[in-house]
Amino acid sequence: MNGRMTTRRGSAVAYEEAYGLTLSSRVRLARNLRGLPFPDQATAQIRAQVLQCVQTAAREALPIQESLADSPRLFRQRLFEDHLISHHLLEGRPESAVCRNADRPLSIMINEEDHVRIQAIRAGLALREAWEDANALDDLLEQQLDYAFSPTLGYLTSCPTNVGTGMRASVLMHLPGLVIMSEIEPIINGLSKIGLAVRGRWGEGTAALGHMFQISNQLTLGLSEMRIVEDLEAIVKEVAGHEQNARMRLKQERGLFAEDLAARAEGLLSSARLMTAQEALERLSELRLGIALGLVKGLDMQTVDRLLLDVQPAHLQTAAGRSMSGEERDVERARRLRQELRRPAKRTAKRNP
Amino acid sequence: MHDTLGMMLCESCHAKEATVHLTQVVDGRVSKHHLCEGCAEKQGIDVHAQPMDLSGMMANLKKHLAHLQDAPATVRPPAGPAACPVCGLTRKDILKRGRLGCDHCYDVFAPDMLPVIVSLQHSDQHLGKVPRRASERMKSSVEAARLQRELDRAVASENYELAANLRDQIKALPAAETAP
Repeated sequence: MNGRMTTRRGSAVAYEEAYGLTLSSRVRLARNLRGLPFPDQATAQIRAQVLQCVQTAAREALPIQESLADSPRLFRQRLFEDHLISHHLLEGRPESAVCRNADRPLSIMINEEDHVRIQAIRAGLALREAWEDANALDDLLEQQLDYAFSPTLGYLTSCPTNVGTGMRASVLMHLPGLVIMSEIEPIINGLSKIGLAVRGRWGEGTAALGHMFQISNQLTLGLSEMRIVEDLEAIVKEVAGHEQNARMRLKQERGLFAEDLAARAEGLLSSARLMTAQEALERLSELRLGIALGLVKGLDMQTVDRLLLDVQPAHLQTAAGRSMSGEERDVERARRLRQELRRPAKRTAKRNP
Repeated sequence: MHDTLGMMLCESCHAKEATVHLTQVVDGRVSKHHLCEGCAEKQGIDVHAQPMDLSGMMANLKKHLAHLQDAPATVRPPAGPAACPVCGLTRKDILKRGRLGCDHCYDVFAPDMLPVIVSLQHSDQHLGKVPRRASERMKSSVEAARLQRELDRAVASENYELAANLRDQIKALPAAETAP
């Protein structure tokens, strides 16, 4: 499929407005079963018992249920890239599983650090909706599961950083303007002072690859779920405002630099023969910024966002239907990017005799 | 985090807005203080302190417990058993891993864990969702805590009408559960 378009459609503009700054919202709830040791401390037999109980409770809502312990590494890597399993489960922990539905906005992990981790993902800034999705699934599971709960400490979790609501709400933001204008650091520091955590989607701190940042609540006790969602939402809107502002100044004050950045990114992505995942994510981010600033014509942001996922190692190998070495992946990644981003050949005007 | 219920006044000078909210745990008893920045500084509180991360917390707890282990038996708090009867984890295990072994650990190691939780979370009371299948007493207990927090705010902002209303609501709740 070729991502090039001859005209800038209304749907492309709507997409940029909805997802340009905040790509996705996620709510995770940690739950444990009453009276049973948490997964790390449980025997294999207890973990198997938990696995069976939770899978049964979730079967109707989440019919796709996959065991992780004995699954191929590539399969787990793909789930990890899709944000469906944690780093913990990437290693294939015993008696662990992921349950999801076909559309995949909702999923659970079983026997991760806690017995149950419910997760709801929504596109764009939609934390309330993600919370409602996760909450409804939680209610459903609770009909069959007896949760570990205390009236003072709330839902009891393996790590005391999750106790209370057991809730981690997070948003994925693209913040190239703040990074390029060197304004990201005070924002990261400021957010951490008010109880929020900022992490790179791929990589930490200001070195976050592809200018992608995840902002989430750190406090889980003493606040209602709705309050956590509302506070985070308010902050995300504020950060989005700063990013917009930084982008505007970038275009006004360093317009040629911004244009050059996007043009170089596009040149490399559409011509290179070898492309590492890191380079692809960096250049795609610059291209994404160029599209948002109106500096790249005839290419839509949705294509770039799809590529941000597709260039990752497990996605690339799954699409190709085989496992590949690092260099083979770099060749395939470059080929894929060229195919998607190649501009239609310009017709050369015939000279008059 | 913003206060949706309006400005809270400093409990010391009663003039400026309370922006420093302190939760203290002394001998297992929790007390809360709301001060303005000036009064907090006068009391020697580092108003620019940042929330600690778990590793820092655990290192501190380690120090705290190392001190308890070295101290004579009479200074030790009334600690429970050395190991959790359900999962078998000991204090030492919990310190090493930074994680608890099961829901009972929260009870068994409460004297050790409560200060850690308060430092990490800046709170000692759940105000969120309660499982639907939880007992009515448990539900009232969380609701009472939520109303009590609103009552504290109402008193601090001298909104006595609202405070009286909230107090009546708390009284009207069925008997709450107090133990974890």
